[in-house]
Amino acid sequence: MSREVRKFSTDQWFFKVLASVFLGSLLVCGMMGVVGVVCHTDGNPRTASAQYLMWMAALVWSVVLSGCFLFRSGWQAWGVLALANSAAWGLFSLLRSVMA
Amino acid sequence: MKLRADFVQLYRDVHSWVGVIAGLFLFVAFYAGSITMFEEPLQYWASSPVALPPPVSLEHTPDLLQKVLAAYPEARTDYTITVAPQDGQNARVTWGGSGGQAHRAPTPVMAAGLDGEGSLIVVPKTDSDAAHFIDVLHQQVGLPLPHTPAMVLMGLVALLYTIALVSGVIAYLPALFKTLFAVRLGQSVRKRWLDLHNLLGLFSLPFHLVMAVSSVVFAFHDQIFTVEHLLFARPVAARHGGVAGSFMVSAPTNAAPTLSPVLAPTDILALMARQAPGFVPETLNYRQLAHGRDVVRVFGHDARYPTRGPTGGFVVLNAHTGAVQSGEYMPGHQPVKFSILTSFFALHFGSYGGMPVRCGYVLLGLGGAFLFYTGNQLWIVSRRRRERQNGAVVETRGTKFLAALTSGCIIGCVAGLSAVFCAVPVLPSGGTYSAVSTVYYSVFCLFVVTAFCLPGQRGVRFLLAASGVVTACVPFMLCLHGAYLLRITAGAGVAVMACLLSLFLFVGAMKHTREL
Repeated sequence: MSREVRKFSTDQWFFKVLASVFLGSLLVCGMMGVVGVVCHTDGNPRTASAQYLMWMAALVWSVVLSGCFLFRSGWQAWGVLALANSAAWGLFSLLRSVMA
Repeated sequence: MKLRADFVQLYRDVHSWVGVIAGLFLFVAFYAGSITMFEEPLQYWASSPVALPPPVSLEHTPDLLQKVLAAYPEARTDYTITVAPQDGQNARVTWGGSGGQAHRAPTPVMAAGLDGEGSLIVVPKTDSDAAHFIDVLHQQVGLPLPHTPAMVLMGLVALLYTIALVSGVIAYLPALFKTLFAVRLGQSVRKRWLDLHNLLGLFSLPFHLVMAVSSVVFAFHDQIFTVEHLLFARPVAARHGGVAGSFMVSAPTNAAPTLSPVLAPTDILALMARQAPGFVPETLNYRQLAHGRDVVRVFGHDARYPTRGPTGGFVVLNAHTGAVQSGEYMPGHQPVKFSILTSFFALHFGSYGGMPVRCGYVLLGLGGAFLFYTGNQLWIVSRRRRERQNGAVVETRGTKFLAALTSGCIIGCVAGLSAVFCAVPVLPSGGTYSAVSTVYYSVFCLFVVTAFCLPGQRGVRFLLAASGVVTACVPFMLCLHGAYLLRITAGAGVAVMACLLSLFLFVGAMKHTREL
C-alpha cells in the first residue's frame, strides 16, 4: 500500500542527531542572545535573567533533540537548523545594534 | 488517542535505543542520588567524633574566638561557627579545609574548643568522605573521571534521558488508557516487565521531567554562562561589580576598612530572629573579603520554604552592622523571580517540605532506578524473543553482551555502595575519598567481570545473591566494629535499609527467571 504521505523513520538518524547536537546548540545560543537582548540582561550569572536564560537553553535544546527524528532526512535537518540559526543570529545582531 | 502508526513506531525505536544507552548510567545516578537525600546526616554518622571537650556556650564563643585568632591569625579570613553542634560530631569553631570542593587535595579542617580551665585546644577534624563520594558518584553518573569531562558526559546522558522521556510518552500514549493499571503478572516475563515499566514511568513522569531538565542545566551551566558572558558582556566600567570573588557584591559598600569589632554570634542570631522569624540558622561563616569588607554568611533553613541548596539557603550580612548585603538565596525572603528559580532547584534536591518529601524522594529515586532496570530487562527479553522467532538457537553476541553488562553494572553498583557502607566503620576516619572510591570501584569491577564470566540465569542469580550478602554485611559490620555508629538515627536507618535491601536481593536471586 503506497501512499503519498511520507513515513517517519529512524533512517539517517545519525545525521539528524549530529545536526541537532551542533546546529541545535548553536541555535540555542542564538535564541539566548535574542531573548537576552530583549530583556536587557548583562549575562552576570548572579542575575535572575541570566539564570532564566540558562533554563530556557536546557529546555529548548532538549526539545530540538527530541524532535529531530521528525525531519525527513539528514539533509533536511541540517538545512532547516542552519536556516533557523541564521534567522536567530541575524535577529540577534540586528537587535543588538538597534538597542545598543 | 489516535496517532499515526509510523510516528509511534519511530519514537518506540528511539526510546529503546536511547534508553538502553542511558539506562545503566541513570541507574547509578538514581540509586546513588536517593542515598544523597540524606547526605548530611550520613556524613555526620560516618565521621569520627571530634576529640574536644563539650562546646562552649554561644555567649562564651567570643572568648574562644579571641584565643583562636590570637593563636591562628590565618583563621581570621574565613572561620565558621556552628550554632548547635551535635554532641561530639561538630565543634563550635572550625576553619581551614578545602572549602568542600571535590577533587582537591584535602587540607584538614581545624576545630577548636576550651577545656575546663579555659585554655585553647585545637584538633584537626577529618570528616569521612563516604557521603561526599556517593554524591559525586550521583553527579557524575558513576564515571570515575575528572570533574569537567564527567559533567559533559553526564550532560549527554541527561539529554538522552529527556529524549527517552519524550519518546517513551509518545510510544506509550496509544496504549495508555487500555492498559493503564493492568499489570499482567501471570503472563510472560516480557509483559510483566513492560507493564511495570509503563506504570512506574507514567506515575513518576513529572519527577523524571524535572530531573532531566535540571540535570542538563547542572551539566552545562558553566558553558552556558560562558556563552552568556560572550553574548552580553559590556565594558567593565558599565558593569555592576565583578564576576569573580565573593558571593554577592550587589549592595554598594564602604570600601574603607572599618576597625569596629565584628558582631558576636549571639548578636547575629538575635538579629536573624528579629528580621526572619522561622529561619533556623545552622552556621555563621565569617569572612574577610577584598577591600577589607567583613561579611557573615548565615546558612540555615526554613521549613516553610523551598531552599536553593540541597540542605538550605543563606543570607550575607555586613559583619559590623548586620545590614543585609544579599538576600537572594534566603528562604522566604527572596524576590519572586529568584524564588521561582529556587523552586526549580528545590524540585531536584527535594529541599522543601522537610522529612516526608525527602523520604518520598528516596522512594521516587529507587523507583526511577528500578524503572531503568526494567527498561533494560525489557530490551534484552524482547531482543531474545525476536531472535528466537527468527530461528536462532543461541542468542547473538550483542544480546549476550548487553545482558551481562546490565546485570554486572546494576548489581555491581548496588553491591559497591553496600561495600562502602560496610567499609565505613573499618576505614581510618570513616574513609578518605580515595579509599572509599577504591572500595566501590573494586567491588563494581569484580561484579562486572563476574557477569561476563558467568553469563545466563545462573550468573544473574549468583550476582544477586552475592550483592545480597554484601548488603547483609552492613548491619553486621556496624554492630561489630562501631556500635557507636548505630547510636544515632542515621545509623539505625542505614541498618534497617540494608536489611530490607538484602532481603529484596535474596528474593530476587531466588525468583529470577529469564524465560520469555
